[in-house]
Amino acid sequence: MLDFVKKLPRAMPGLILIVATLYVIRTWIEPWMASAVILGQKGWLIKVFHLNYILLGIIAGMIYRNLLFPLLFKAEMPELFADGFKLSRLLIKTGIILLGSLYTVQAIVTLGATAIFLIGAFVALTIVMVLWLGKLFGLDRSMTGVLANALSICGVSAAVATAPAVEAKGSDVAYAIATILGFGIATMFISPFIGHALGLTDLQYGAWVGTGILNSGQVLATALAFNPKVEPGSAVAVAEIWNIMRVISIPFAVFAVTVWYWSAKASEQATERKGLGTLLVEKFPLFVLGFIGMVLLTSLGAFGDVGLKGGPPASATIKMLREWMQWVFGFGLVGLGAYISLKELARAGGAPLKVGLIVGTTKYVLALLVVLAIKDHLVAL
Amino acid sequence: MTDKTRDDLDQPGSETLGSAGDKHKMTLFKDDRQEDLGAIALSILLVLLVVVLTT
Repeated sequence: MLDFVKKLPRAMPGLILIVATLYVIRTWIEPWMASAVILGQKGWLIKVFHLNYILLGIIAGMIYRNLLFPLLFKAEMPELFADGFKLSRLLIKTGIILLGSLYTVQAIVTLGATAIFLIGAFVALTIVMVLWLGKLFGLDRSMTGVLANALSICGVSAAVATAPAVEAKGSDVAYAIATILGFGIATMFISPFIGHALGLTDLQYGAWVGTGILNSGQVLATALAFNPKVEPGSAVAVAEIWNIMRVISIPFAVFAVTVWYWSAKASEQATERKGLGTLLVEKFPLFVLGFIGMVLLTSLGAFGDVGLKGGPPASATIKMLREWMQWVFGFGLVGLGAYISLKELARAGGAPLKVGLIVGTTKYVLALLVVLAIKDHLVAL
Repeated sequence: MTDKTRDDLDQPGSETLGSAGDKHKMTLFKDDRQEDLGAIALSILLVLLVVVLTT
C-alpha cells in the first residue's frame, strides 16, 4: 500500500486527463447530443446510437490509446499518463462497493437466489464446454484451463487467478485475455441495441448482460449504456448483483479447473495442487466484502432512505452517493477504454480465438433466451 | 506475438490486456488483493465525505 502512495504523484497527469475527459463529455458533449437536431430529429444521436456518457467515455479512452497517443507521443500509452490510467480498475471496484448503497439485504437475498442459480449453471456449463472444445481443437491443457475460467467467470481476473494453478505460460493468459476482451468489446456496443429492440426491461436486461458478458468492467459499461441511471432496480443495479455472484465463484471455478488439470498428471506431480480452503483464502475478491459492508450499512439505515419504489424518497446522502457513483464509474470506464488496444486484440487468433468465439457467443445468446424464458419469474428489486 | 515477447510476459497477477511486462500492469498496486483493499479504503473516504457534506 505504501508503494502505491509513493506512485500516486506520478499518476496525477493521467488522472487529470481522465477527469477532464469525463467532465467535458458530461458538461458539454452529452447535453449537446440531447439537444442537437440531426435529420430533423432532436437527440438523434442518443435515440439512434444510444450514446451516453459511459459509451462516450469508453470511446474517448479508445481514441486516446489507438489514435491520439500514437500520433502525439509515438506510443499507445505514454509514460506521462500510464500510471494515472492504471487507476481505472481501482475506480471501478470503488464504484461497485458504493453500489452496495442501492440494495437492502432483503433485495440481495431475493434477487441473489435467482442470480446464484443462473450464474452457477452458466459457469458449470461454460467450463464443461471449453474443456470439451479445447480437446476437440487440440489446445494444450494449460491454455484450455485458463480459457475455461476466463470464459466462465470474470474474464481477466479469472484468467490470471487460474494461470498458476494450471502451469500456464504468460502467453496463454495473454491470448485468453485478448480473446475474451475482443468478444466483450463487441457485446458492449451491440447489447444496448438488442435490449432496446427487444423492449427488455432493466431487470431483464441486467440479468442478461450480468450472465452473458464475460468481464466485470464490460458488464458495468453495458448496463450503464442501456440505462445510465444509478438507482434501485436500474439495469446496473441488477447486472451488478449477477456480476458479484460471478466474481465470488472465482475460487470454486479455479478449484474445479485445477482438479481437472492435475487429474491427468501422475499423483506424485500433483503435490503442488491447492485445496479449496487455500484457494478461498487466496483468491476471494476482497472488494466484495466492501460491497457487502455497504449493503449492511444501507439496510441498517446508516444513510437514510434509499428511495425504493413505493417508499419514501431517497435521502440527500443517498442522492449524492449516486451522483458520485456515476462520476467514479465514468472515470473508471474512460480508463478501461484506454486499455483497449486494437493492435493487441488483433494478436488473438487460431484455435483459442475459435473456442472463445464459439463459447462466448453461445453463452451470450443462451443467457438472453433463458432470461426471456424466465422473465415472469424474475423478481424486481 | 514473438517468442521473445512470450518469454517476457509477466507472471500471474499482471492483469494485462494481452500486453507483456510489468510496465503494462493494469494496476498501480502490487496485486489484486492490494487493489481490493485500496478500493475499500477509497470507498470509506468517499462515503465519509458524502456523509459530512450532507448532514
